[in-house]
Amino acid sequence: MTALQQLAKPKPLRPRPPTPQRVRDDYLRFLPWVFLTPALAIYSVVVVYPMVYSSYLSLFRWDGISPTKVFVGLQNYVTLFTQNEVFWIALRNNAVWLVAALLLPTSIGLGLALLLNSKFRGSHVFRSIFYFPAVLSLAVVGLIWTWIYHPDLGLLNQALTASGLKGFTRNWLSDPQIALYPVIIAATWSAVGLPMLLYLAGLQTIPEELHEAAKIDGAGPIRRFVHVTFPLLRETTLIVLAITAINALKAYDIVYAMTNGGPANKTQLLSTWMYFLTYNYNQVGLGTAIAVVLFSLTLIFAIPYIRFMTRKT
Amino acid sequence: MNETIAKKGILPHQSKVALFYFALVLAALIWFTPVITLVLTALKDAGDFARNGAFSLPKWIRWENFSEAWETGVKNYFWNSVIVTSVKVPIGIVIESLAAFALTHMHFKWADRVFTYILIGLIVPIQMTLVPLTLLMNVLNLIDTLPGLTFLYIGFGVPFGVLVMRGFFRTIPTAIIEAARIDGASYLRIFFRIALPLALPAVVSLCILDGVATWNEFILAQIFLRSDELRTLPLGLVQFSTQFSTQYDQLAAAVLISVVPIVLVFLFFQRYFVSGMAGSVK
Repeated sequence: MTALQQLAKPKPLRPRPPTPQRVRDDYLRFLPWVFLTPALAIYSVVVVYPMVYSSYLSLFRWDGISPTKVFVGLQNYVTLFTQNEVFWIALRNNAVWLVAALLLPTSIGLGLALLLNSKFRGSHVFRSIFYFPAVLSLAVVGLIWTWIYHPDLGLLNQALTASGLKGFTRNWLSDPQIALYPVIIAATWSAVGLPMLLYLAGLQTIPEELHEAAKIDGAGPIRRFVHVTFPLLRETTLIVLAITAINALKAYDIVYAMTNGGPANKTQLLSTWMYFLTYNYNQVGLGTAIAVVLFSLTLIFAIPYIRFMTRKT
Repeated sequence: MNETIAKKGILPHQSKVALFYFALVLAALIWFTPVITLVLTALKDAGDFARNGAFSLPKWIRWENFSEAWETGVKNYFWNSVIVTSVKVPIGIVIESLAAFALTHMHFKWADRVFTYILIGLIVPIQMTLVPLTLLMNVLNLIDTLPGLTFLYIGFGVPFGVLVMRGFFRTIPTAIIEAARIDGASYLRIFFRIALPLALPAVVSLCILDGVATWNEFILAQIFLRSDELRTLPLGLVQFSTQFSTQYDQLAAAVLISVVPIVLVFLFFQRYFVSGMAGSVK
């Protein structure tokens, strides 16, 4: 038989008969999908499909009720950026909120973690006290702080008056110039717990010997922090910054509970303004476009975060 | 001798410790002021609050604030929250653990890609999903129902749950799973008899974190519950505050009632908060 003949010889097209081993392999290849199906199905229906559909809807003008949607391309985005004044207020507020969130809860959380990492009598009680606000619902946090900021009965103005600083009293949540900042303070109060917890966990992984060695080499507490502790907390810091940033962009409940976006829309965030446009003004196209803008902002912080979470698996 | 004292600073050790505690207690008190204010307001009568402000001790303790708040509607909100949380959390944990197990111990080629797909859910602003979900829930006739809300909660819980469980399952040595395989155990059996029992600490952590998150959820409840008798606690409280904006005593009592279960869970299962959160970033 020549080589050519050999090539021409028809190969058996019939699949090999399913041996028990092959059935088993197919079954095993298929089985993980069975385990995944409940979670993936509900997650895809509730989270992923709506995300995609929202992006699609942001290309239409639609009131949410009428059967016809008018395709307008990127017009909604153009409208937002050129004609929607509140959108700019919201964007600016989100930026301020984000900067505050990246600075305040993170550094306070780190400070508290350093302070409370060493075991001393009562350290657990203090940890609980400082962590506690983080387990409260943001709506509740908003309500509590609304009382504190109450112009007449609120603790803040009363304390200022009592300590002779009456000139500093304000109508905190009704003054359009400043109303955002009291809300950010309240949000910070509840946002400190998570960074503190993550830093405490991070500190626990640093071996004591390193500190001892640095101490013997004559490094003071500040140098030990700068050259030993903080570099070893790099990974934790990345996580903390990413999570705080993502959470900051998600802020909604607390603003809704404290100012409802007012006074004069001065405390709107993209998240709350999306709600108002969509559900109060029936501007579904503009609302979903805001959601897409918000999501894009989140991605800036989320992509490094997801990269990190899926590393070396 | 003088040198060592100088190195240790001007103050003797004991006063240093005292100063440290003093500063810490002061900071903790300031930190806890909002909570103290809440408790004080809930315990006093509205007139007392109006006359003496938020931070004075109550002239007499008015326990009726709690019973009145409870009867004005908090009872309903409370039980709605209990129902939603106690259905959501167990179902969520089972499906999340099954998925996490498939991603870690089943020689699954697509594990990394599927995990990344699931992680996207952690970062999505909820606003991104609201309009399509409204349409969907409308079609399914699930708007203004607790089962509908629970369904959404289960979906939104998947990413965090899978993250935590996967983090824990990865610490279970493959050898244990392989040994059981060689002994002829099916994956489902291994999951229920070996993996899940080993992961009990993670399951408890997740129960607590997830329970607290569900208990506190606001925006989905706000959009998808319409009638007053179906409201969950955070939504009910915010509504309560706009309706009875001047009845601070009752509102504070209502808030305190909503916080009590969280405090209890927090006190009894505190270490699981730490391990759960730490597990989610490993």
